[in-house]
Amino acid sequence: MWLMLVAQPLMWIVFFGNSLAGLPRGFLAQYFGVENYLAYMIPGMISISVMTMGMFASMSLVFDKRLGYLKRVLTTPTPKSAVFLAKAAGAMTRGLLMVPVILAVGAVLGVGYRVNPASMAMWALGLVLAGLGFSALFTIFTVNTSDVHAPGVINNFITMPLMFTSTALFPKEFFPQWLRVISDFNPLTYITELGRNALVYGMPPDIKALLAIAAFAAVTITVGVAVVEARLEAD
Amino acid sequence: MSAIVVENLAKRYGDVEALRGISFEVSRGEVFGLLGPNGAGKTTTIKILTGLTKPTSGRAIVAGFDVVKEAAEVKRSIGWIASEVIVDDELTGWENLEIQARLAGVKNWRERAAELLRYFGLAEAANRLVGKYSTGMRKRLEVAMALLHGPEILFMDEPTVGLDVGARMGLWEVIRQINKDFGVTVLLTTHYMEEAEELCGRIAIINKGRLVAVGTPGELKAKYGVDVVELEVSKPVDPSKLSPFGEVVVLDGRVVVKTQRAEEKLADIVKAVDGIKSVRVKKASLDTVFINLTGASIEGEHADIKRLYARVRWARR
Ligand SMILES: Nc1ncnc2c1ncn2[C@@H]1O[C@H](COP(=O)(O)OP(=O)(O)OP(=O)(O)O)[C@@H](O)[C@H]1O
Ligand SMILES: [Mg+2]
Repeated sequence: MWLMLVAQPLMWIVFFGNSLAGLPRGFLAQYFGVENYLAYMIPGMISISVMTMGMFASMSLVFDKRLGYLKRVLTTPTPKSAVFLAKAAGAMTRGLLMVPVILAVGAVLGVGYRVNPASMAMWALGLVLAGLGFSALFTIFTVNTSDVHAPGVINNFITMPLMFTSTALFPKEFFPQWLRVISDFNPLTYITELGRNALVYGMPPDIKALLAIAAFAAVTITVGVAVVEARLEAD
Repeated sequence: MSAIVVENLAKRYGDVEALRGISFEVSRGEVFGLLGPNGAGKTTTIKILTGLTKPTSGRAIVAGFDVVKEAAEVKRSIGWIASEVIVDDELTGWENLEIQARLAGVKNWRERAAELLRYFGLAEAANRLVGKYSTGMRKRLEVAMALLHGPEILFMDEPTVGLDVGARMGLWEVIRQINKDFGVTVLLTTHYMEEAEELCGRIAIINKGRLVAVGTPGELKAKYGVDVVELEVSKPVDPSKLSPFGEVVVLDGRVVVKTQRAEEKLADIVKAVDGIKSVRVKKASLDTVFINLTGASIEGEHADIKRLYARVRWARR
């Protein structure tokens, strides 16, 4: 299980990450801000991993329903929202565990990081918030179902568009106007840019990006708590 | 003061009317049994009383609190045991108790947990994964988890299903003890009449979402108990010959007469029928009360399954 989870970003990095290696260095520097596409991609890959891991929140809740365990929980005074927040925190933790793995892979493949400590701290906070936010988002969509396939379907349905409408893999300069607009509303863009500042460009923290992520997390968690309190059933 | 008050409780799942307005009361310190055939609405009643699902209409008060408006207070006062054992297989017995303690908000749980594990003979297995426990051990762990926060009222949905004779009697003893020594009110469901008779001060029988009788086992037997005379016959019987003795159900090869004081009428019944191969008499018991009140479904289904199976066999060809 863990091997598979780690294998996925690794394959992205190794195969996709090297697909632009043949581009002229000048072009890379101009459009990606660094001469190595791998370096550009690693923060994006981390964002994508943290997002994808959010699926485990909704999956865990569906399984708790299936196994009847949610009944055990909901016959105690523990509020439904606590269950929801715990699932989100759990999935966020899984997501964060991927961060050092991906960073290490990058280092092994020769990526030199230009670290800015203040930005790193801000990025770490951003990853926690984004992890919670994405976990909440997935869980909102599966709150009414006990179908174990639903989280996977929802995951594809949400992560694919978010991934390709963000700057996780390519810079905004490549995008047509409409895609740029979407990208500006995409939380994945902000958490990726925070990471690039901290790790690749060595730039000071971008408070606005952090605020955008905080807003995303606040909205998804607030909506999630309300939806779960109103709609979550034990089976 | 009553531990449980149920007023006109109804629950609808889409087209299914699981409960069609039931009312009953359970006093503090009682062991109350909920009996009824499969699908009668027993589990649904427990789900409403434990706050797992909301009633469509009607009202229920548990431990003095409204199950809809004051669900959190209700949940603080109750313990619950599912008919399917629900524990976390990937954790040890001890960890299961710890989670339960945290969910229930019990602070000094360690001592009590250790004591409960000892009481239920699980002390040795405390640090083993629950996935490797036997059914009986899992059930005992579940009971320990339900008692950890010292509930006033305990809901047990088919508590002894799947237990061997010894384990079943052991659990009966536990139920009696916690009821007697700590005054815990128990509401349990069961399909075993013997168990209901053994444990319950009072019993409610529900059928198809309706309450059909409430009372002590003795009262129910006196009021609804019928003697059942079952005749095995070699040729068809004219039911009108038997109807003076009581209600008659004719099946192929068998006739069932529901009557009172069967021993006095037995000679006349036997005389009225030709070609009797065997006679069986069942005196009034909770079993016959149950069959009487919930319909003689067992006999009815018997004939249907023969026909159904014949069709299935035919379809296979
Ligand atoms: N979640 C649900 N959705 C739809 N129908 C349900 C649901 N839960 C129960 N029912 C229906 O409500 C009726 C009562 O079910 P319930 O589980 O309360 O019966 P029961 O008396 O506990 O039966 P058993 O002895 O088999 O456990 C049944 O017809 C059942 O199919
Ligand atoms: Mg049931």
